[in-house]
Amino acid sequence: MPAEAAQQVEALEAQAQRLMGTFARAGYEQVAPAVIQPAGLFLDVVGESLRARTYVFTDPEGEELCLRPDLTVPTCRLHLARHASGSVPARYCYSGSAFRYQPGGATSAHPNEFRQAGIESFAAADREADDAAVLALIVAALRETGLKRFQLRFGDLGLFTALLDALPMPARWRRRLRHQFWRPEAFRAELARLTSQTALAPEGVARQLMDRLDPARPEAAPGIVEAYLDQSGLELFGTRTLSEIAERLLAQAADARETPLAPQVAALIEGYVAVKCPAREAAAKLAALMRPHKVDIAAALASFQRRLDLLDAAGVDTGEAAFSAEFGRNLEYYTGFVFEIVVEKLGPKSPVAGGGRYDGLLADVGAPAPVPAVGSCIHTERLLAVMGGEAA
Amino acid sequence: MSDKLVLALPSKGRLMEQCARMLDAAGLVVKKSGSPRGYKGEIDGMADVEVNFVSSSEIAQFLKSGTAHLGVTGEDLLRETMTDCEERVAFLKPCGFGQADVVVAVPAAWIDVRRMSDLEEMAMAFRRVHGRRVRVATKYMNLTRHFFAHKGVTGYRIVESLGATEGAPAAGLSELVVDITTTGATLRANGLKVLDDGTILESQAHLVASKVAAWTPELRRVERDVLARLGTLRVDE
Repeated sequence: MPAEAAQQVEALEAQAQRLMGTFARAGYEQVAPAVIQPAGLFLDVVGESLRARTYVFTDPEGEELCLRPDLTVPTCRLHLARHASGSVPARYCYSGSAFRYQPGGATSAHPNEFRQAGIESFAAADREADDAAVLALIVAALRETGLKRFQLRFGDLGLFTALLDALPMPARWRRRLRHQFWRPEAFRAELARLTSQTALAPEGVARQLMDRLDPARPEAAPGIVEAYLDQSGLELFGTRTLSEIAERLLAQAADARETPLAPQVAALIEGYVAVKCPAREAAAKLAALMRPHKVDIAAALASFQRRLDLLDAAGVDTGEAAFSAEFGRNLEYYTGFVFEIVVEKLGPKSPVAGGGRYDGLLADVGAPAPVPAVGSCIHTERLLAVMGGEAA
Repeated sequence: MSDKLVLALPSKGRLMEQCARMLDAAGLVVKKSGSPRGYKGEIDGMADVEVNFVSSSEIAQFLKSGTAHLGVTGEDLLRETMTDCEERVAFLKPCGFGQADVVVAVPAAWIDVRRMSDLEEMAMAFRRVHGRRVRVATKYMNLTRHFFAHKGVTGYRIVESLGATEGAPAAGLSELVVDITTTGATLRANGLKVLDDGTILESQAHLVASKVAAWTPELRRVERDVLARLGTLRVDE
């Protein structure tokens, strides 16, 4: 990072204090998670795409460590260090540096060292209410620093999950589609595969083996696979077990016997993903999309609508908010409501704040069971740049 | 900085021998200057060329930083060292030796995994069962990331391996590898197989020019001389 002007540091400091003041008044406890984090756990959770942008290093004892690329995972770890089960409700706020390598060079909108000010709320029972509370507080904090004009962009992975659950297909197909949701190309390829009988047929596995695997008798599969490996002179080693291989072969055998996804079902999924509209029109629009297919996601739509109402009640005007069904932040760990706050000056690729619900992350970091969690952080350098611009 | 054209050549192994033969065939006689154990050399009759004998991966670094004007090294190392390879170096001539494929290889007993798309699905299940991501041992971290991203494979973690990568899965250090292979025999001997669409790069040694080195019109003239000698040669395996 280039040396900063003392003035810039002072301005950021003053801005951070105002943000933290707003968070603290709302009952969020200020925490300061460690900057240096164990690389292994972090990188298991965030995935290789962020790993490529994470500064990883080895200490003199050979321990692999990293500079935190965000503060959400460190805050999860801090919470679990206090409450091993993770299920004790808690609200934290933080302000600190995060570090990300920027391929192609760091810029002022995408620096390799930047300060995040954010909040995380764990184990609150009412999800929509907590989603709304977190976003409302972030908006309040932004307004407190003087930001007046901004746009809200929403997505909701809960709606997508509800849609998949409402459509007739094997659970493993849902899992695959949900997994590929973030990657449009792979998602479309998977959808195409599930609609094609020929694509569902396993290729390259010996017929004699596939014919003997019966999806109705999964308990027999490991023995059959083991005998096949023996006979073929293939030795299994490493962490992955025989039953994992058998399970996938069984799934492949089951796929081959499964009725492919109907073209109109695939079209409905693609139609859903393409929906972009004002947030206030989303529920009606999606209900209309589902109706001809007799697909019922009313409960998820009601939750979505209730969240909007709660936001309005909390003073966040959702009248101008945009909804996009495929909107998500490519961090993989979000599971429900997601949002970004963008300003005209910086454009949609450099939001001043973002966040969402990530109900699976605490379990990934070590909690024994999933814990509801929602959080958001503000990109403070961007905010300062916008405010500087507005003042000038 | 010297005002000579710096030519970086492999300092050891088969690549060094093959490289010496290529230069020989072109009538370029390379001699060590100073101590026979030293790492500098010169070419008979080309006083403007300074030869540096360094390891293959250092040659890639030299070309990347512009420390060398010309060099001979593997395409795999060049592409691994520079994500913006085409902007930093010009590939002048494939040498016809040093062939090696950079491939994705998994235990042969994984009969359910044949393509990269299988890998992504297998990785998803692996994480559910073991609570961590599947590990890929490799020294080609950048090539691996780029290729896996291109194939839509995301649920993995790279562990850096600096030698005997093919043994990592059996040693429990990783579940799969990205490694180089020429005949596949070493992979097979370690119980591994290459995925059907798992060839990342078909590599060989190349004569390469650095675009970021300090080039003067005089050095360009020297470069043309060297290339004229090498360009006409035919390499017999």
